[in-house]
Amino acid sequence: MINSIMDTLVLLQMFLAAIGAVIIYTIIGFIPGTDETSVLMPITLTVVLAGVEPIVVLTFFISAIVTLNLTNGIPTVLVGLPGGVMSSPMLEHSLFLKSMGLSALAIKKLTVGSLIGTVISIPVSLILARILIPFGESLQRLAPLLFFIGAIFLSLIGKNKLLSLFSILPMSILFMGLRHLYWGIGIVPRDTSITTSFFLGITVGPLIVSLFTLLNKKNLESMIVEGKKKIYIPRDKLASKKINPFKILTGDEIKKASIPVFISNFLFVLSPVGLTILLGEAVATREKDPTRKANIAIVTMAAIVQATYLSGIIIPLIALGIPLSPTAIGPGSALFNAPPIFTIDNNMHHMLNTWEFILAIITGAIIAISITYYIANKFANKISTFVLKRISHESIIGLFISLVLLLSYMDAGLINIIGVLLIGITCGTLNKLGVNYGVQFMTLYAAPWIVDKLALF
Amino acid sequence: MKKNKTMVEIWQDVVEIKDLIRSIILSFIFTFGVYLFVSPNNKAKELFFGLVGAVMGFVITNVFIKPKRIIIFDKNKIKE
Repeated sequence: MINSIMDTLVLLQMFLAAIGAVIIYTIIGFIPGTDETSVLMPITLTVVLAGVEPIVVLTFFISAIVTLNLTNGIPTVLVGLPGGVMSSPMLEHSLFLKSMGLSALAIKKLTVGSLIGTVISIPVSLILARILIPFGESLQRLAPLLFFIGAIFLSLIGKNKLLSLFSILPMSILFMGLRHLYWGIGIVPRDTSITTSFFLGITVGPLIVSLFTLLNKKNLESMIVEGKKKIYIPRDKLASKKINPFKILTGDEIKKASIPVFISNFLFVLSPVGLTILLGEAVATREKDPTRKANIAIVTMAAIVQATYLSGIIIPLIALGIPLSPTAIGPGSALFNAPPIFTIDNNMHHMLNTWEFILAIITGAIIAISITYYIANKFANKISTFVLKRISHESIIGLFISLVLLLSYMDAGLINIIGVLLIGITCGTLNKLGVNYGVQFMTLYAAPWIVDKLALF
Repeated sequence: MKKNKTMVEIWQDVVEIKDLIRSIILSFIFTFGVYLFVSPNNKAKELFFGLVGAVMGFVITNVFIKPKRIIIFDKNKIKE
């Protein structure tokens, strides 16, 4: 009896968590330029640290990524400002469709693409995870080495291979140097490694570097722009009201979007944005007619975005227990490592059984995709107009900086605010030079092992 | 206000430097104000209160600082 009441309570919490994530991330998704990792990670961390049941946390997170991945596409298509990193590959195609006056239809195609991605990716990732489970335990023992290999791997598949490779060792010295400093002066106990705020330092790095650039008068002059930014919002009075996915997409579009989605699930260790560009463009370039090409690109990319995120979190979480994909080590890192609730050796992977995973994933995804699908199809214009008119960019930057400062202070006091600033300046500069986030996050996790090995010589 | 407002493009959108500085200071005061003076001594709740403060700061800055965007509604007819 008590058990069934508990179960009902947990189910209710899962439902509320999913709805909460939809509300929060619909608003954030419509704000242009908000980086996925910096908006997903701190809020998920709060939910974890609040002591919510792991199954509820997972429902929240799945609902959050599905919502964010869809809503991020809307400002991209509607006004030509990418909602986040993952929607930037769609920009060119969106601008083309916008110039043809086809934005309203493009939003519908985008939402159906997201739907396809979610529907295909969840079962495929679950099956893949199931297959990989036997290897999980042996991989966990190799975790530190795997993070190092991961950093090298992500360097080699990125654009700036040598630059990324060269930056791994100095970055690991930076991270471990700060940790040893904190241990040495006794502000952090020896058995605690600061990760969260270092991670955020990497994330806001490029922003910090831009802000510092403003302090140089010469650079400032070159960054000055004349007048406000003009944004054109298309009127969509004439757009039809249909929301049946099979009427919005042609059979051909559904087929062409489904195949890369299926493939991308197997490539969950690769960079999500890289996969979106690669597979999305591969499908789109085969199309000759420019309008059809742009449409196919939007549908396919929207679908792949969902698939890369879902497989990138589901497979490491269920099968591996260590964050061995860019999604897991970035936006989803709080599910793997959020002391004292989750640690690398005892996290959500160890606390939930397969059925609990499936229940949480499906609940979160269904609630998120059905609500956002409806909202995006009905109110895309209204919400966009509201956000662009009311939410100032200054306040968003202010919010991010405050969040990073807060989490840094909570981790190790004032000295860590300066430490994170140092990480931000260094990693942000490397980022602007061309070292991507994936390499930097992997290095953060590999740093203890790297420094141990360096000390041997 | 004076006419010589310095506007720059940062993080893919236009901001005015004075407003940016005001906004960062306001957000900081609210976030740390609520975190340091209101929150109880418990890590999860501390973070929660900090976030509440950050959101309060966000809402307040939005009241005072308006976006530097000009919204134009396109009259283009939409084809389907």
